[in-house]
Amino acid sequence: MSRPTRHEVDTDPVTGYETTGHNWNGIRELNTPFPRIVIWALALTFAYSAVAWVLLPAWPLGRDYTRGLLGLDQGEIAAEGYQRLAEARADWVTLFASGDFTALAADKTLMARAMPAAARLFADNCAACHGATGTGGPGFPNLADQDWLWGGDPETVAETLRVGINSAHLETRFSQMPAFGRDGMLPRNEIAAVADHVLALSSGKADPNSPSATLFAENCSSCHGEAGTGGLGVGAPVLVDDQWIYGGSRDDILTTLRQGRQGVMPAWENRLSATEINMLALYVAGLGQDGETGVRQ
Amino acid sequence: MLKLHYNLEKVSLGMVAAIIVAALIGGAVEIAPLFTIDETVAIPDDLRPHTPLELAGREIYMREGCYACHSQMVRALADEIDRYGPYSLAGESAYDHPMLWGSKRTGPDLARLGDKYSDDWHVVHLADPRSVVPASIMPAYPWLTTSLDTENLSAQLATLARLGVPYSDEMIANAMRDALAQSRPDSDGAADVAARYGESVAIRAFDGNSSRLTEMDALVAYLQSLGTLTKAAHETLAPEATQ
Amino acid sequence: MIGSLSISERQTGLVLAIGLALFGLVMAAAAKQGPMAVHGAMALALGVALIFAIGGVFYDADAPAGRAGRYYDEPTRFGIVMALTWAAIGMGVGVWVAALLYWPEATPLWSWTSFGRLRPVHTTGVIFGFGGNALIATSFHVLQRTSRARLADAVSPWVVLIGFNLFCAWAVTGYLMGSTQSKEYAEAEWYADLWLVVIWVVYFAIYLRTLARRNEPHIYVANWYYLAFILVVAMLHIVNNLALPVSLAGAKSFTIWAGVQDAMVQWWYGHNAVAFLMTAGFLGMLYYFLPVRAGRPIWSYRLSIVSFWGITFFYLWVGSHHLHYTALPHWVQTLGMTFSVMLLVPSWASAGNAIATLNGAWHKVRDDATLRFMFVAAVFYGLSTFEGSFLAIRPVNSLSHYTDWTVGHVHSGTLGWLAMVSFGAIYTLVPQLSGREAMAWPRAVEWHFWLAVTGTLIYVVAMWNAGITQGLMWRTYDANGALAYSFLQSVAAMAPYYLLRTIGGALFLSGAILCALNTRATLRAAPADAAASDRPLQPVAAE
Ligand code: HEC
Ligand code: HEC
Ligand code: HEC
Ligand code: HEM
Ligand code: HEM
Ligand SMILES: [Ca+2]
Ligand SMILES: [Ca+2]
Ligand SMILES: [Cu+2]
Repeated sequence: MSRPTRHEVDTDPVTGYETTGHNWNGIRELNTPFPRIVIWALALTFAYSAVAWVLLPAWPLGRDYTRGLLGLDQGEIAAEGYQRLAEARADWVTLFASGDFTALAADKTLMARAMPAAARLFADNCAACHGATGTGGPGFPNLADQDWLWGGDPETVAETLRVGINSAHLETRFSQMPAFGRDGMLPRNEIAAVADHVLALSSGKADPNSPSATLFAENCSSCHGEAGTGGLGVGAPVLVDDQWIYGGSRDDILTTLRQGRQGVMPAWENRLSATEINMLALYVAGLGQDGETGVRQ
Repeated sequence: MLKLHYNLEKVSLGMVAAIIVAALIGGAVEIAPLFTIDETVAIPDDLRPHTPLELAGREIYMREGCYACHSQMVRALADEIDRYGPYSLAGESAYDHPMLWGSKRTGPDLARLGDKYSDDWHVVHLADPRSVVPASIMPAYPWLTTSLDTENLSAQLATLARLGVPYSDEMIANAMRDALAQSRPDSDGAADVAARYGESVAIRAFDGNSSRLTEMDALVAYLQSLGTLTKAAHETLAPEATQ
Repeated sequence: MIGSLSISERQTGLVLAIGLALFGLVMAAAAKQGPMAVHGAMALALGVALIFAIGGVFYDADAPAGRAGRYYDEPTRFGIVMALTWAAIGMGVGVWVAALLYWPEATPLWSWTSFGRLRPVHTTGVIFGFGGNALIATSFHVLQRTSRARLADAVSPWVVLIGFNLFCAWAVTGYLMGSTQSKEYAEAEWYADLWLVVIWVVYFAIYLRTLARRNEPHIYVANWYYLAFILVVAMLHIVNNLALPVSLAGAKSFTIWAGVQDAMVQWWYGHNAVAFLMTAGFLGMLYYFLPVRAGRPIWSYRLSIVSFWGITFFYLWVGSHHLHYTALPHWVQTLGMTFSVMLLVPSWASAGNAIATLNGAWHKVRDDATLRFMFVAAVFYGLSTFEGSFLAIRPVNSLSHYTDWTVGHVHSGTLGWLAMVSFGAIYTLVPQLSGREAMAWPRAVEWHFWLAVTGTLIYVVAMWNAGITQGLMWRTYDANGALAYSFLQSVAAMAPYYLLRTIGGALFLSGAILCALNTRATLRAAPADAAASDRPLQPVAAE
């Protein structure tokens, strides 16, 4: 076999251009003149870049870099942008700083503007625990009912949000269901008895004169109230309804009594602004008002 | 020019050299100054390194590929600040080998996650995300209940110390002990953890059971530490903007 | 295959196999447990298997006499088989993880198969397993043909291919066991990284040695690209993977880079792994197989020069476009953005050069699915580079970053360009390797083409929609100036797109499997003698 003749320049019949003369196992190249458009495109994109380099921070210079004529800094721009966002909604958001919840809730147009924002805040921050509609779930209380651990009026809710419950916040609300079993505060049989009493309370069949009622009065009423109706503002739930944080089966209640409970609600003071917290407080307070909220949109 | 190239094409080592030179320039210009320009990384005074338990959690985070769905980098954009909090600073990840900024948000950003949820919630969520967030598409991680292997922690801290992370000899020597103590608030070692790593470190039975040190403890400790290693980022936003 | 090695080559091979087995044994013994021990055992098993394979034919007749007068195509054949195997694995896992995002409950409660562990199996499987093997296999073919010289050595191509596949196997099994450095596209641990460096040096050596034997004084463009691929990937790989192992007897290591510098190094690597593996290497492939299949000369030699150097120079500046608005200093972002825009020109010049090469062969594009694969690849190359340059502009990236738009861009590049050009090359190459005129099932090629195109379009369009929807939902403000959507609403909005993506991916995967079966059927046909013209010339030194 002969070597391919080198530098044998042909003309390509299709394009009319000459080949370069190289031949790699049959592959050839055309010596097509350099397309002008590529030069233009390079020039154009380079011009764009050059303008950007002049205007924006761009080239490193050892220990410093060119700052650009516009003197931009992305952190400042973002902070300013955020400031502008805050200003754009300041006309209604700042109203929530007042904390006069009755007046705020009465202002229907204001609520119409604020509640979608509160709903988004709730979905991004609270729904993970309290559920998308605020109905809670195992370990996380229902916010859409009438029962409250600390109180359902917006002032109280706002304070709960600010400091949290059993949270890392220095002023946190603190509450604890003691571990009567684990800590040996009540013997087994009495725990069982008091558990049955709690069950009876919630179904409305409790006998106020039974020994278990005495046990309850001695051990539990200080937090849960005389008749288990809660509302003492110490974070202890109502026990006379069929709403449960940790479940209402006998086993669940026994577990609560044996191990105790100390649910944690995070504090939001450092994450949400005071106005956002107030907005949320109204939103949450509205969740419990039988649909007839006038608050929730 | 064309002639020059025409000749270069005939010399394979010439092509090799030219390729290397052409390819080196960009990286050199962009990477080297990141070490020489001081303002690139301002290490905040209050920045602390991860505790051994958090470090172990970080490795679980990497092992499970959480970074495939979660970023840890709030970009300097107004809407991101609005949703997630202050934008991330270079200093915040100055001790991270490797960084875990991520490139995809199938799930939300986690840079400001610490203290957002309770330990209990994390435990439930990781074991079965859909039990707390029905619409979630995050996988369940039920195997995190296995015991944590702390064997290697001292060696890991020592390795990181060689790379410039400020772990003292004392921290290195006590890594295993500290990992255990951080999950046992009532144990003797708990105060040592706080003494060594700072009062802001969370010392809790993260998985709700202080009798066993599990992978869940480590991962939750890590998640609760995100965004809490320094307060520097919170100072970037004017106070009135956050109110 | 081993029968075509000379006795002394078999000896070298045996020594290397024993070395590999011992290396694996030491590794397993040192690590005792965990991923590194498993990987040691894998190396040991592979070494032992190779010892048996070589030992079995050790005393067979020496290599056939006329060997030097033929190209050495067995490594290419093996590489193609491995590429297609990895394609099935990698894309299969891709479809599975795509399905998991639509149907998360399907995750088995077994840690190894969790989304986060499988995702890098997918990316490594397709990029390195499929893409890497396809590149190595075709590079050996192209190198020999364009040099009209036989590979300079018979053992080292095997070292490269077997060693590279061991790397891939280590990497993906490591992820399944939870061993990862978490650096995207470089997740494999330190010892695998080091191993790859060794393999790469061997690859480079055989490449240069063969190139030195070429008969045409000029080096063909395809080889420029393959060379750039080998060199730059080596450079990136080494720098990005610099790490300090916690112990030499364990898998765990810490990358030496921290924080923002780590991010920059990572995406300097990450972008250019895209550029020099998924782009430059495959442009090499295109530059050979397209003109061969079309029977046309490359449209413009001068344009080739500009696009090659443009790509080689500009690409390495643009990694910072993966870090827009992050804690990376603004100035680096500006450079990344502007160079990305300039990069469009050489990219389109390459695509344009390829498409213009088809002038005079359009009737072939119409009739020949194989050529059509390459044509579509060039079009998608143009599309995805345009998209890439667009996404690199900061304000655009503020919307697209972190969303499925990126994933859409990725797959318009990988499915539309990388995979299509590989299939085009494979369909050109495989008949030639088995001495046939055409693939065993020509109709299946046509089917594959349409499955691939439909699959890609469904995938990419779904992800564009998904990404833009997501990006907009994250930043949309309502009339009152508050964020309009919660994050979870954006998750819920993705469901239909994730379903569509799974369907598109499944179509693409079935095409790839068809290709694998077709290739198997074709390679199994008794090999006829290669065409008389497909022979190396008598070796002469070119330089
Ligand atoms: C980590 C889970 C979690 C998150 C997130 C969370 N909560 Fe709570 N929340 C709880 C738990 C647990 C309790 C009950 C604490 C207890 O059991 O003592 C609670 C209690 C409350 C209460 C007190 C209810 C009462 O009856 O007094 C209100 C109000 C409340 N949450 C509102 C919110 C709002 C609004 C948000 C979002 C900004 C939110 N929560 C986020 C877990 C959470
Ligand atoms: C020191 C105050 C205190 C005392 C005493 C106390 N509790 Fe509680 N209890 C609480 C608090 C606070 C909670 C809520 C814990 C939480 O939400 O995490 C609670 C919760 C409960 C629950 C769970 C309710 C649910 O919705 O799941 C039950 C049942 C209960 N207590 C019963 C009792 C009984 C019976 C006794 C007496 C043997 C008792 N408690 C004594 C404070 C107390
Ligand atoms: C397939 C993608 C995916 C993977 C992998 C994944 N996540 Fe998620 N993650 C999500 C999605 C989607 C959400 C939002 C829904 C929810 O809260 O479950 C989420 C939410 C979260 C949240 C709540 C964040 C917030 O601010 O509401 C945390 C914490 C979290 N993930 C941690 C992890 C950890 C730790 C891992 C790894 C062990 C992980 N995720 C793996 C998708 C994922
Ligand atoms: C059968 C076809 C394929 C399907 C169904 C598929 C599916 C997927 C999925 C579901 C993801 C994860 C996206 C996410 O996390 O949201 C992904 C990522 C990825 N895939 Fe594929 N894939 C396919 C083919 C390929 C091919 C052939 C390649 C390359 C050769 C490839 C390269 C990648 C890359 C690089 C990523 C990472 C993207 C990123 O991090 O932004 N894929 N793929
Ligand atoms: C001119 C050419 C190109 C440019 C300028 C470019 C630019 C970009 C940009 C801006 C991103 C998004 C970064 C982010 O927001 O996170 C990106 C991502 C990506 N591109 Fe390209 N691209 C180009 C070509 C290609 C091609 C041809 C492919 C594939 C063959 C490809 C594969 C990828 C991959 C895999 C990612 C995802 C990286 C990650 O994991 O986040 N790109 N590219
Ligand atoms: Ca990515
Ligand atoms: Ca690696
Ligand atoms: Cu890129």
